[in-house]
Amino acid sequence: MLLNGIITGLIMGGILSLPVLGVAVIYGITGIPNFAIGVIGVFGGFITWYFLSYSIGLAIVIGVVVCFIVGYIVQRILLTPISEKGGDATLFFIITVSVGFVFEGFIRAIFPRPNISLELPRLGTINLATFTVEGFKIIALVFALGTLVIIRLLEEHTEIGKSWQATSQNLKLSKLVGIKTTQVFSIASGIGCALACVGAIFWGSLYNLQLSSGWDLGFMGFIVAVVGGIGNIWGGMISALIMGMVMSFSGYLLGGEWQSVILYFIVILVLIIAPKGILGSERSL
Amino acid sequence: MKDHYEKIGTVGILLLPLLFALRGGYLQQVTGYVYLFLIQGYVAWFIFFKSGQPFFGYSVTMAIGAYGTIVLTEIFKWPLLLSMLVSSAFAPVVCVTLFLATIRARGFYVSMVSFLLAIMFPQLINALQNITGGRSGLYFSGMTAFIGYKTLYVLVIIITVIVAAFFTWIMGTKTGKILTLISENDRLTQAVGINTRKYKIIAYSIAGVISGFGGGLYVNYTGFISSIDIEVFTTLYIFFIPLIGGSSVFYGPILGALFVILIPELLVPVERYFRIFFGLIFIIVIVMLPDGLAPSIQRLLRKIRTKDA
Repeated sequence: MLLNGIITGLIMGGILSLPVLGVAVIYGITGIPNFAIGVIGVFGGFITWYFLSYSIGLAIVIGVVVCFIVGYIVQRILLTPISEKGGDATLFFIITVSVGFVFEGFIRAIFPRPNISLELPRLGTINLATFTVEGFKIIALVFALGTLVIIRLLEEHTEIGKSWQATSQNLKLSKLVGIKTTQVFSIASGIGCALACVGAIFWGSLYNLQLSSGWDLGFMGFIVAVVGGIGNIWGGMISALIMGMVMSFSGYLLGGEWQSVILYFIVILVLIIAPKGILGSERSL
Repeated sequence: MKDHYEKIGTVGILLLPLLFALRGGYLQQVTGYVYLFLIQGYVAWFIFFKSGQPFFGYSVTMAIGAYGTIVLTEIFKWPLLLSMLVSSAFAPVVCVTLFLATIRARGFYVSMVSFLLAIMFPQLINALQNITGGRSGLYFSGMTAFIGYKTLYVLVIIITVIVAAFFTWIMGTKTGKILTLISENDRLTQAVGINTRKYKIIAYSIAGVISGFGGGLYVNYTGFISSIDIEVFTTLYIFFIPLIGGSSVFYGPILGALFVILIPELLVPVERYFRIFFGLIFIIVIVMLPDGLAPSIQRLLRKIRTKDA
């Protein structure tokens, strides 16, 4: 049971870490807490489901690209202008929740079913001692960890990564040296939403996607990011894996209905004891 | 003097729906519902916008009042009024505990903790399904069994007026002025020797009691409550009431409640597109009218009057 719990927890944490990474990337670079990314990600998940009968690869690409474009546009035409006028965290909370309402509405209006399951190939099974795990779940976990490493490498070794760092550290100076900060923000937001979409695709394949899944993923992604230290990518990853374990073991020991209660209770306790998260925030809210 | 007229006008407007009591029907039912949310809207107006406390647990305090009333009355067989009062007294305990627990944190982190509580509470209600009924909910005849639906409606209106009058009154007292000062500049208020913690506890206690009592009243009026009624969106809707209506004027939450509760009613014919319109309307109002509806309407009227003169 212990091994089963650990592996399920790691996989849950791995999937959860994708929207968490999305939140961390967006918040770390733009300083804006975006609560809509879960809903936008699930919107992409529904698009992927719609095109799944044509080609799996193409369907995933379409979903992810649409989410990137949506994230880019929302940041460009709505969030950056408000940020430039001096909007605070509470205002962004309200605006992004409203954006979430709009995309939840799009899912309901466009797609014929409010509850879907994405049929992706299971890629065989792997035997680990007494426990068998689907290859697909391992891919999900590896993908999450790989994305984290890629984002870190991008940040450290590429021009765009350096402009991300500069923008998050000193916005005025970045503008002064010619960095197109508006574009940097929009790309960051696009990447965040695209990551949330991949998370939603994995989630929709392992469990299912409903109208409310976007809020669950978004809110959970955000709180897990806060526990890790919002804007801190490593902290977010560690926090997601711990939270995945918590969900897995509380589900086994107390039953599924107590899973979320225990998770939120622990998150509240962490925030009370360490308001800046496990590894501390690189920005302050 | 102008402020005085504004307060009297607010009370007058709030009493107008008493006329619906004569007609009954759907309009009366919806108005009662709007007023029950208006009580919570005034709580948000007081604690968040006037006292500057980043609290998002309105659905939690409301639910404590509602579930407490049912459980104490139905399971423990306590008298109804006593159950409502005890439940209302428990709600501020949660608020104040949350405040004291997050005293080291600042700003949005405090918001997050209360917001998480608002997300967690319906899940807790689902987990305790044997007592609370979870998603299936609990039915409750409560006050309607004693005084009838029409009298209860009148009572809801009168209690809402008392709540609005109380909050507008308290903002004019020394406590209210200190809370305004705290919301403007917490550190400065401390620097001049005011015990801000004491006043914040007072603010949370008042907000908790009234929100809890409003919850008790809610379940008496609707006759039913389930975890769906207290989902995190309930907290958001309550918070949107003073925000959309305008927090700078006393009657702002009235416009906000009409907007937030009635817009979904008006959008019923286009139910499939409801969330799109709802979200877009919120974005447009927040972006175009950052002070809320009431101050914007006030400005528009002033402009028209100046033009006429």
